[in-house]
Amino acid sequence: MTIIVPDKGSGTTVVLVLVLMLLSFVFISPSLHAEAAGEYIAIRKQGAGKVALVLDRSASKGSKESGLAQNLDAIIKDGLIFSDLFSVLPPPSNIRTGGDGKGSSLNFGALSSVGAEVYAGGTVSRKSGKVNLGMEVYDTFGTKLLMKKTYTGSEDQLRAMGHAFCADLIELLTGKKSYFGSKIVFVSNKTGSKEIYQCDFDGQGIQQLTNFRSISLTPVFSPDGTRLAYTSYTSGKPTLYIRSMSDNSIAAVGKNGVSVDPGWRNGSEVATTLSFEGDQEIYLVRMDGGISRRLTNSRGIDVSPTFSPDGKLMAFVSSRNGMPQIFIQDVQSGQTRRLTYSGRYNTQPSWSPSGDKIAYSTWEKSGEINIFVINADGTGLKRLTSGVRENESPSWSPDGSMIVFTSNRQGGKKLYIMSSTGESQRRLLQMDGEQMQPSWSLFR
Amino acid sequence: MGQAVMSALFLFMIKYQDAMKTGIKGFLIIAMIATAGCSSKSAVTPTDSGTDSSSSMQGGSSSGTVSSSGSYGFDEWQTGPLGDVFFDYDSSILAAEAQSRLTQNAAWLKSNAGKSVVIEGHCDDRGTSEYNIALGDRRAVTAKEFIARLGVSASRLETVTYGEERPFDKGQNEEAWAKNRRAHFVVK
Repeated sequence: MTIIVPDKGSGTTVVLVLVLMLLSFVFISPSLHAEAAGEYIAIRKQGAGKVALVLDRSASKGSKESGLAQNLDAIIKDGLIFSDLFSVLPPPSNIRTGGDGKGSSLNFGALSSVGAEVYAGGTVSRKSGKVNLGMEVYDTFGTKLLMKKTYTGSEDQLRAMGHAFCADLIELLTGKKSYFGSKIVFVSNKTGSKEIYQCDFDGQGIQQLTNFRSISLTPVFSPDGTRLAYTSYTSGKPTLYIRSMSDNSIAAVGKNGVSVDPGWRNGSEVATTLSFEGDQEIYLVRMDGGISRRLTNSRGIDVSPTFSPDGKLMAFVSSRNGMPQIFIQDVQSGQTRRLTYSGRYNTQPSWSPSGDKIAYSTWEKSGEINIFVINADGTGLKRLTSGVRENESPSWSPDGSMIVFTSNRQGGKKLYIMSSTGESQRRLLQMDGEQMQPSWSLFR
Repeated sequence: MGQAVMSALFLFMIKYQDAMKTGIKGFLIIAMIATAGCSSKSAVTPTDSGTDSSSSMQGGSSSGTVSSSGSYGFDEWQTGPLGDVFFDYDSSILAAEAQSRLTQNAAWLKSNAGKSVVIEGHCDDRGTSEYNIALGDRRAVTAKEFIARLGVSASRLETVTYGEERPFDKGQNEEAWAKNRRAHFVVK
């Protein structure tokens, strides 16, 4: 277990303190569970409580600074609430001893008495046109400094600064990189035709990426975010395009028949379904749109490839046995096994970034479509949605803690998020029209 | 009389689709064969080996897929000379009536050698959209291959799938879904 501690302070001491703090969670707090699980500390198990955190108002001097501090406090608070890891408590009135000025110190007794386990607070200042956010995080039981770090940026980078702190705090407490900075790309018919859009991980900053007035579908970012693969009808037929995000240059997969529903394999290849040989088979294509090689070879539909993080295994949908089911193929050997046996119509697989799980959707007898998660070895099947109409197109957050999906539970199709175990299901964004086919970026 | 029985049969099939799929199918096939004799055309004789005549659910000539002309494949959305063909749920298998319609389409194409067609594959909007894009492709390609086998040059037959993206009928019932599961012919 390695925990990277930001600058300042003594690294070994802080790690020691953190370990002690986690031990104290186990013995003191009934709502927290900390345990080593693989390479990270799972601070919050399924159904367990959240970390009680007091987020202090950032200190500042001057009215300009005060406004910036208010914005930053709101961004940080929203970011921490979004993570679903924290109960964010208001600071108690007697949070400081010795007044507000210099020489005052945190009143850990007061923090503990309101149930706070962690305290976070900062100062906002300006220097040569830049905003500085200095953040400190304390373990309130141990009264120890856990983290002290300064974030610097221009005034239009407040969101990035606040989210950088949120990411650091969550990484400190969970040992895992978070999703702050990641994007979600999706399809919406808001303008009357299906176009591709992106937004930040929290549904903010919606941006329209295409204006083709055609049908555009199934967008997916490359793992490094430099390219976007999608299918569009701009040529009259569904064709796969790979677009460079830096110079907007586009490569097309110029084969007859369809080329649809791309899935990235590592950063350098895209798998997609092509039908130019008469049957819908999955092929690997290069960045220039040329075919690298054919992966599947079975009568019937093969579609919707998604890869294990190491690129060695591909999960996909096949109708080779009749109704669509999910299969896993070893890319090197071609050896294939069926993954799903429960449910008659299983599609839309999405391989988790940690590599152990696959999310997918089942069209159930009741008429509902629900999202399930299954281990890559076929064990541990779990239903994540239920009783709320059609829930489709699951896609994992880059840290694997959340899943974005489409649901029509409130009428038209909209984007929702939930934890990877199905808790805290909520709308991701407010936008006109329908939204569908979300794909969460691996970069952040 | 044959038409009336077929009509009743088709309505029955729509209503009890699920049950039919499991158990009543056999009875229906027998019933359809029995009524075929009084029908104007031989509705259940497969013309292509390897197809499944038992999946001829779309064959009902009284369904909403048929215009007042009463001819399979023509409805308010099909105004060209070539009729459309319809498919069973999650299927790209050509039922007997679809094969009959495609045979007539092939004959028209042979006597209109200068014309080419776009065959659009469509699906109902149940299920999931990525799979339906592939299914629509399969429907269009299946229709194309059938016509090509009858001697029409494949270069005159273009296919495009729309999956569930362009439904003909936006209704959420079996009648609408049945209309949307089609290969749609557009003469260029």
